[in-house]
Amino acid sequence: MAESNGVQSAVEIPADKAEILARPLEERDDIVVCENVHKWFDDFCAVRDVSMRVKRGEVVVIFGPSGSGKSTFIRMINRLEEHQQGRIVIDGIEMTNDVRNLDAIRREVGMVFQQFNLFPHITVLGNITLAPQRVRHLPRSEAEALAMRLLERVGIPEQAQKYPAELSGGQQQRVAIARALAMQPQIMLFDEPTSALDPEMIKEVLDAMRELAATGMTMLCVTHEMGFAREVADRMAFFDEGALVELGPPDQIFNNPQEDRTKMFLDQIL
Amino acid sequence: MTARAAPAPLPPATTVGVLGWLRKNLFSSRGSGIVTVLLAVLLGWVVVNLGIWVLVEADWTVIISRAPLYIVGLYPYEGYSRLAICLLLISVLLGMSWRAWPGPARRFAFAFGAVMLFVGVFPHEMAPEHRALLLLNLPFIGLGYVLTPRPAAANPGRLEAIAGGALAPALERIAIFSTPRRMVIAAFVALVLIMILILGIAGVPGLDPVNPADLGGLMINLLLAFFGIVCSLPIGIGLALGRRSNLPILRVACVIFIEVIRGVPLITLLFMSRHILPLTFPEELNIDRVYLAGITITIFSSAYMAENVRGGMAAVQAGQTEAAQALGLRGWQTTLLITLPQGLRNIIPAIVGQFISLFKDTSLVYFIGMLDLVEMGRVSVQGNQEFIDNGREVYLFIALVFWVFCFSMSFISRRIEGALGVGRR
Ligand SMILES: Nc1ncnc2c1ncn2[C@@H]1O[C@H](COP(=O)(O)OP(=O)(O)OP(=O)(O)O)[C@@H](O)[C@H]1O
Ligand SMILES: [Mg+2]
Repeated sequence: MAESNGVQSAVEIPADKAEILARPLEERDDIVVCENVHKWFDDFCAVRDVSMRVKRGEVVVIFGPSGSGKSTFIRMINRLEEHQQGRIVIDGIEMTNDVRNLDAIRREVGMVFQQFNLFPHITVLGNITLAPQRVRHLPRSEAEALAMRLLERVGIPEQAQKYPAELSGGQQQRVAIARALAMQPQIMLFDEPTSALDPEMIKEVLDAMRELAATGMTMLCVTHEMGFAREVADRMAFFDEGALVELGPPDQIFNNPQEDRTKMFLDQIL
Repeated sequence: MTARAAPAPLPPATTVGVLGWLRKNLFSSRGSGIVTVLLAVLLGWVVVNLGIWVLVEADWTVIISRAPLYIVGLYPYEGYSRLAICLLLISVLLGMSWRAWPGPARRFAFAFGAVMLFVGVFPHEMAPEHRALLLLNLPFIGLGYVLTPRPAAANPGRLEAIAGGALAPALERIAIFSTPRRMVIAAFVALVLIMILILGIAGVPGLDPVNPADLGGLMINLLLAFFGIVCSLPIGIGLALGRRSNLPILRVACVIFIEVIRGVPLITLLFMSRHILPLTFPEELNIDRVYLAGITITIFSSAYMAENVRGGMAAVQAGQTEAAQALGLRGWQTTLLITLPQGLRNIIPAIVGQFISLFKDTSLVYFIGMLDLVEMGRVSVQGNQEFIDNGREVYLFIALVFWVFCFSMSFISRRIEGALGVGRR
């Protein structure tokens, strides 16, 4: 592999995966499969009958009005929420109550939250090395080397010894991205990663995400950054009232939406 | 980079002199003016009368002549130097915390040193070697200070600025308390040594065992409160985790324990420990009442500690657990590495508060016949014709001692709160 390049070595795409990523999107395997997924909170149906397949290396942007179930849907993919009907398969692993399956899936899937959720009581470096040491059982030196490479990749290696509260929002979110990447996931989930940020910090986070997409990471992003979506997304998914209303490439969504609700929503926000 | 920016405007003056402050805070309306005058008269009257009594009428000889009883109870005179060595150990720990935690701990180290200096030079009956040991505390605070490296974030202190760079490498080499773990170990070793020094070991020359019943005075209040808090922390954490556990039996057992203990007064627990519990174990197992009191106070404190810990952990944001789960941490890893440390940090002020109230509660051990500070005060007055009229002096002195300890505790707690940023993130 290209050892000279810090970015490449931090991602470590295995040879077989690299071969798959070289193919066009249509010929790749499905890494996320959701079939007729439902989720209720008490009697309220937050996600209804969502079916979606995501190809390896694909970037899907999810958008829709507030309360439409975007977060709930994305959180079901790493089981922060439990789906109650339907089927979810992540990279060939069926989502069940089996602890081993759950562990395997959580290793495959990284997540970045709107509120960053960094651990305030440990340093930036500690935040990133924690899970690799405790879950992947990397030796400390190796975990720290990995963390430093990731921090360089998101552009803040000099912040390693600070505590999260000492960083700006944009820096914190980039640490959160590095922390998720340290588990070397196959899929990254983003739930409105820039919504809690001041405008001048949004760009730095979107840049980190853009770069990540360019390395062939499979990404599911809930975001209302339509510029980012237009540029980076392979497909866009419009959610409304818990249902997946429309799923298609950005060109279709922006220029030729098939559903009235999609068009109405876009007219409102653009 | 050509034109220099105009100097930033100054903020408006916040107070307009003493008169302005008075008018704003004390005489803002006719009503508040009247209240202020009335309160001032009342306060002045109390202060003047009390002051006259304290300075002129009161007879403080009882305090000075009975001071050893109030401070260390019936502890044998031959052992006083052992107690003084305990103070030296505490001094080292104080010096260590002063260096590691300059803000909150410095004043405490100062105050401790000042008390030692005062008692060491105060003109009263005291053996010269005891005076020397007390004064030795001052260099020992310094010793603890230099054995600890400067925290990375802190600026070099005045001392170091004077000593200059020449000493720095030497200082670095002798800094043995260099990690939090080493500090905790040092504190733990010091506590064990203090226990050994106080109680003694049979057969070791110079460490003759002391009859536990002779422990008393302020020393026993402090020991019981301190060991009560220290021992109840792990037990309380265990109970809190048990209460959050998924195992119904464990959960119910913890809830019952916590609620039963919290539902009864400490004095009834002390009574039971002394008069009911011994019925349940063999007669020859004659546990001294000091240990019974220690165990009872620990159990009592554990129940409250458990609730504190639970509250602290519940205050940790849900996002923290979610992030840990998303990273693949198991449930127990999430608790031990994420929720518990943050929860404990949240409750440091509550723990200090609990220590304060436990410290005051230890005066209840008179009920099982122990001579703590308060009981010793009562005995010294009522048991002695000479001092039978000095009750006011004695109880005022006792109140002052308790107040000084409790106030400095809550003072430190507020400083620690600030340093840790509890309440902000
Ligand atoms: N834990 C919960 N308990 C009960 N109802 C919930 C819970 N979480 C979400 N809901 C409800 O489910 C619906 C979908 O919520 P969700 O957070 O998925 O929406 P969203 O599309 O992410 O909205 P937003 O853009 O505001 O983040 C909402 O009506 C919400 O009130
Ligand atoms: Mg949401």
